[in-house]
Amino acid sequence: MASSGGEETPEILAFMKLALEQAKIAFESLEVPVGCVIVMDGKVISHGRNRTNETRNATRHAEMEAIDVLLNEWKEKKHTKHQVADMFSKCYLYVTCEPCIMCASALSFLGIKEVFYGCANDKFGGCGSILSLHTTTTTTSDIGRKSYKCTGGIMGEEAVNLFRNFYELGNPNAPKPHRQLVQQP
Amino acid sequence: MNKCEVKEHWGIVYVPDKPPFPLHQQPTVKVHAAVIDPKHANTLVRKLNQILPLENLRHVKRVRKQVLDEGGIRLSMMLCLADESDDTQLEIIPQEIVDLINLYKLETFITKVCKYAPISKEEWIEQSKLWPTSYHPPTYNISGITGFSEEESLSVCTFMKQALDLSKCECQIVNAAIIVDPSTNYIIAHARDQVNSCSCFINHEHDVMVSCLNPWQWCNENSSSCSWHPLRHAAIVAIENSSERDRRLFPGSGLDESTDHLEHDLMLKKQKTECVKKEVVDSQSNNSLTELTRPYLCTGYDIYLVWEPCAMCAMALVHQRVKRIFYAFPNRKTGALGSVDRLQGEKSLNHHYAVFQVMLPQEKNPLINI
Ligand SMILES: [Zn+2]
Ligand SMILES: [Zn+2]
Repeated sequence: MASSGGEETPEILAFMKLALEQAKIAFESLEVPVGCVIVMDGKVISHGRNRTNETRNATRHAEMEAIDVLLNEWKEKKHTKHQVADMFSKCYLYVTCEPCIMCASALSFLGIKEVFYGCANDKFGGCGSILSLHTTTTTTSDIGRKSYKCTGGIMGEEAVNLFRNFYELGNPNAPKPHRQLVQQP
Repeated sequence: MNKCEVKEHWGIVYVPDKPPFPLHQQPTVKVHAAVIDPKHANTLVRKLNQILPLENLRHVKRVRKQVLDEGGIRLSMMLCLADESDDTQLEIIPQEIVDLINLYKLETFITKVCKYAPISKEEWIEQSKLWPTSYHPPTYNISGITGFSEEESLSVCTFMKQALDLSKCECQIVNAAIIVDPSTNYIIAHARDQVNSCSCFINHEHDVMVSCLNPWQWCNENSSSCSWHPLRHAAIVAIENSSERDRRLFPGSGLDESTDHLEHDLMLKKQKTECVKKEVVDSQSNNSLTELTRPYLCTGYDIYLVWEPCAMCAMALVHQRVKRIFYAFPNRKTGALGSVDRLQGEKSLNHHYAVFQVMLPQEKNPLINI
């Protein structure tokens, strides 16, 4: 997990703002506020937000939603697996919170190019906080494990504020979060 | 195969939260620590717990008290993790800790603490010689950890056998998952990998394409149809099927407003007292009317998997709050329940399941049978 050090170009910030928009939609739908966009060739080609309550499926994280939009579209266009893999390798993900262990693994399976995230995920983070699934290890390099670059701390404050508002609203008796309170179900 | 035969050759082995280590070789991690003035101890503990809670070292006490030879005591305090290599260039102490060090003029040193919580009194005594830890004998008892009754092991073996059967078709061997409510022995959902499309009609060789064993392999398979999905591993599909069942059997019932996941425990209590009762036709009960309880995700359910799941699937099962996982074959390269990672032992996660390996008689291994 690299922390962004002054490399927040206007483009990166603009895409993260779009991801935050998605997180706000989740918030308004009473879902844990995490959102993301997927970018290829400088254009947003998919977006997603957390949908775990609505679906009663706790795996429907923003990343999974955005990935499925793309897969459906690409399969409808009758792209082959090779073409799909090739396109994922040109995709950048902007997500408001560090991908969890599940999503971080999924992004590696797809062979995504690069990930930018807002705040760290102290409890479930799979890009450095708890496990490092974005990197290659000796046990898995021989079976084709794919790594991707991952940069955190892009507009992390905004992402944390959304969580804070969410948990304060949902649970008025909860103690005030003392640190980045991050809990993606 | 009759019931007795099933049971005779099978075994159920608990896969603990941490790898087994000899008593005197408990793994350690390096931490930064400092000798502190006893009158600052309470304030410092409070501040440190706020700025750096050290989730994975909850079993390690913040403060070590040593009785000195010349009388008097010395208090030392654990501050934060240190770099495991001996390269001092790599030492990064979080800024908030640096501020504390400066404020209280602390002299830091690097020491070792035990990485895993003790699981026995003997381990605890041994660990505390290095740096004190705390020992909590298990307060929960997920049934099975202390052993299975005859009846339970029989149903575990029966469900695992069903999962094995499900994993094979004419052309492929894939991973398979069955979600079961152990309180009723109802099958809640079942699924096979849907990563590669099935090609039974053109291919009669048994391809082994177990998604969790090599999740990067999906793009190397040629596929003419569109029924493939790189992330639809059996466990993920089974979770989806169980949530579909939930929505189908309990449309729009009361839990939708409970969005606070921090409060899921509270919600569970609520659920227990006011069971959402509904008369539904359940497919598992010969179309008779039964009273069903609205589940909260997969709380209380077991899942049977032929192969140990990868990290994606294992974390999905944490999210969906499965109670117990049974798998037959380990996944040496990407398994996340003991082989490579061990999610059941990750303290920071908000849910922990118990994991078991079901040992089969040799001839049941589908890789040997083909
Ligand atoms: Zn996730
Ligand atoms: Zn898997």
